[in-house]
Amino acid sequence: MIQKKICMVGVFATGKTSLVRRWVESIFSDKYHSTVGVKIDRKQVEVRGTTVNLVLWDLAGRDELEDIKPSYLRGASGILYVVDGTRRETFDQVFELRDIAARTIGEVPSVVALNKSDLRAQWQLERADSSRLDDMGWHNFTTSALTGEGVEEAFEWLAKLTLGDYRGEVGS
Amino acid sequence: MPADPTRPLEPPEELGAAPADDGSRDGESFAKLRELLLGEESRQLERLRRELDESELSVEELAERLPGAAALSSSQDDQLARALAPTIEAGIDESVERDPQRIANAVYPVLGPAIRKAIAETMAGFVNAINRAIEHSLSPRGLKWRFEAWRTGVPYSQIVIKHALVFQVEQLFLIHRETGLLLLHEHVDEAGTKDPDLVSGMLTAIRDFVSDSFDAEDEGGLADFRVGTLSVLVERGPEALLAAVVRGQPPTELRLQLEETLELIHLQFRQPLAKFDGDATPLEPARPLLHDRLETILTTDRPATLGWAPRAAWLVLALVVLLGIVWTVRSHLAWERTLRHLEEAPGIVLIEAERGLGGWRLRGFFDSDGADPGVVLAESGIDPQDVTGEWQPYLSLEPQLVLARTERLLEPPPSLELELDRGRLIARGSASPRWRARAVRLVDSIPGIAGSDLSDVELAPSDELNRMLREVEEVHVLFRLGSAELDPEPRTRVEALGPALARLLDLSRAEGYETAIELVGRTDTTGTEQTNRLLSRQRADSVRDALVAAGFEVPELETTGVGMSEPLRGEDPESTSRINRSTTFRVQLRPAGPASEVME
Repeated sequence: MIQKKICMVGVFATGKTSLVRRWVESIFSDKYHSTVGVKIDRKQVEVRGTTVNLVLWDLAGRDELEDIKPSYLRGASGILYVVDGTRRETFDQVFELRDIAARTIGEVPSVVALNKSDLRAQWQLERADSSRLDDMGWHNFTTSALTGEGVEEAFEWLAKLTLGDYRGEVGS
Repeated sequence: MPADPTRPLEPPEELGAAPADDGSRDGESFAKLRELLLGEESRQLERLRRELDESELSVEELAERLPGAAALSSSQDDQLARALAPTIEAGIDESVERDPQRIANAVYPVLGPAIRKAIAETMAGFVNAINRAIEHSLSPRGLKWRFEAWRTGVPYSQIVIKHALVFQVEQLFLIHRETGLLLLHEHVDEAGTKDPDLVSGMLTAIRDFVSDSFDAEDEGGLADFRVGTLSVLVERGPEALLAAVVRGQPPTELRLQLEETLELIHLQFRQPLAKFDGDATPLEPARPLLHDRLETILTTDRPATLGWAPRAAWLVLALVVLLGIVWTVRSHLAWERTLRHLEEAPGIVLIEAERGLGGWRLRGFFDSDGADPGVVLAESGIDPQDVTGEWQPYLSLEPQLVLARTERLLEPPPSLELELDRGRLIARGSASPRWRARAVRLVDSIPGIAGSDLSDVELAPSDELNRMLREVEEVHVLFRLGSAELDPEPRTRVEALGPALARLLDLSRAEGYETAIELVGRTDTTGTEQTNRLLSRQRADSVRDALVAAGFEVPELETTGVGMSEPLRGEDPESTSRINRSTTFRVQLRPAGPASEVME
């Protein structure tokens, strides 16, 4: 069995925790976010017959007062950025977050979840935004904690990236 | 040969230039000659030139290739390290000899924290031990240990150490330091383990959190923390952390053992640790090292063993204590039981009951018509001799005792039943006149009796008296035909009858009867009525005379002759005739008047 540390990073209230809650095994309560600033869950995915144990470090969301703690990023094999599709600024901040991550641990395989896809009416992202991520070599998924859309795919994709698959294709 | 190493080897000028115009044949000859004379040397020269060329290339490229080569070599095996070690050691020696300050400066940043850490841990262990000693010396457990020290003769400090070291390493986590991923997890069977992967991650996160919060990474990070009786000891290595979850008081040696284990793992699994990429399988062989840690430490928690002599002593002591307990419990139960019996017993009032070292002491009242305290004690299994009893007599008005007292005083015959109805005495059945007269006289003076009704008592002779009457009345004193003279055999019987009649008279008098004993003489049907009446009278007199002659002479004795007027009936005519030639007894009882009662 292969284990990989994955960090989930995003602005405050992008729905990171809700996104994974139904899909992961956890023994810790959400209060760890407000105290320690990170909560650790586990997600198992199968990649070409290999079980990959993704240890998810769900980092407390970035807000005006507090940036994400860089030390929690250390050793991460991949990063799942979470964007709230109904709040444009959360999309813009992904690039700042990426810079922080790159400074701390260098470039690592990354995937972006454009979350809250069930809220179509308030959706503020355009096709061009998605293309912009594609151009940077970041695979992105529209996801919904409500319907479960895209969640499994995003994790599987990230798991494959951490194992070295798709590397050339993505070009990161 | 001094030559420019870059120049290709050429024939010397004076040899090569002169024969050029002699034609090709001369040239060939010359070449052959040169080959013959200088062939060996020229080959050697060629080889040297090549070597020089190559070595020149290597020097230029060596600097470029060396780091890669070194890295490759060290990833393959430690040959390079072994080869270089003596040179490096020699170099260090040389450097120290020349200028010790240089090395000292270089090592200082490493040495300082290491020394500080060592001192800090020693101090922490020392403080810990003092704390434990203080804590234990004042607690009930501490007193228990003091007793144990006194009992076994072992110094108190050693007892404290023996008990304070009781601990168990329940879980061990080997955690990859960079990623926080779990490399290995070992635990004792009984330890409850939550998801170790997640615990491992969270432990790393919390260490990061502490380090970030207090800028404490340089100090070695979070080393241990306690939760109730659980301690988590975290040992940090360059590539991995070893976290031990310990129940109880971990001794200082435990940290050293963990350190050694972690060092050993780093030494034996340097490559797998350095190259860890999520696959912990290559570290699997390190599992026994962790497991040993669980086991070794468990063995220090061994139970104390005793030799047979102390065991026997303890056994005897335990038996004595057990017997003591049994005796105490039994004694207590007997006491409780006895008191209950005494309280339940009629006519006993317990005022004071003490159970002391001097034995039992009881004080109270007793009614002599109720239970005897001594008997109650005996029935409860207590020897009355062991009890000091002070019993004052009293009269109980409990109905039960009033009745008992009444029965004792009135002595009712078996045919009579006495009852108490709200203090009123009721008698049912039969009794002799004398008994009733006496009862009527006494009943109102019996304590506890408030009135009586004896009118329903049927007056009747006692069974004894009735039996005597029957016996007497069944007697037939037989006579020969026409004779009123007693034959010797009937005479003997009559004489023997005297005492029986006397007893009958005594008893009937005692029961309050006036008695009339009538001797009735009869004849059979032969003869005239007149002669028969005379004969029958003579027969009755004859019996009376015999009785009087035997000393039985009482005024109650009367005689009468009925002749053949009141014949007795036999089974056949012959026996009828025979039994009518006789004298029988007829006893009449009549209740005596008040005068006879007064006489009693």
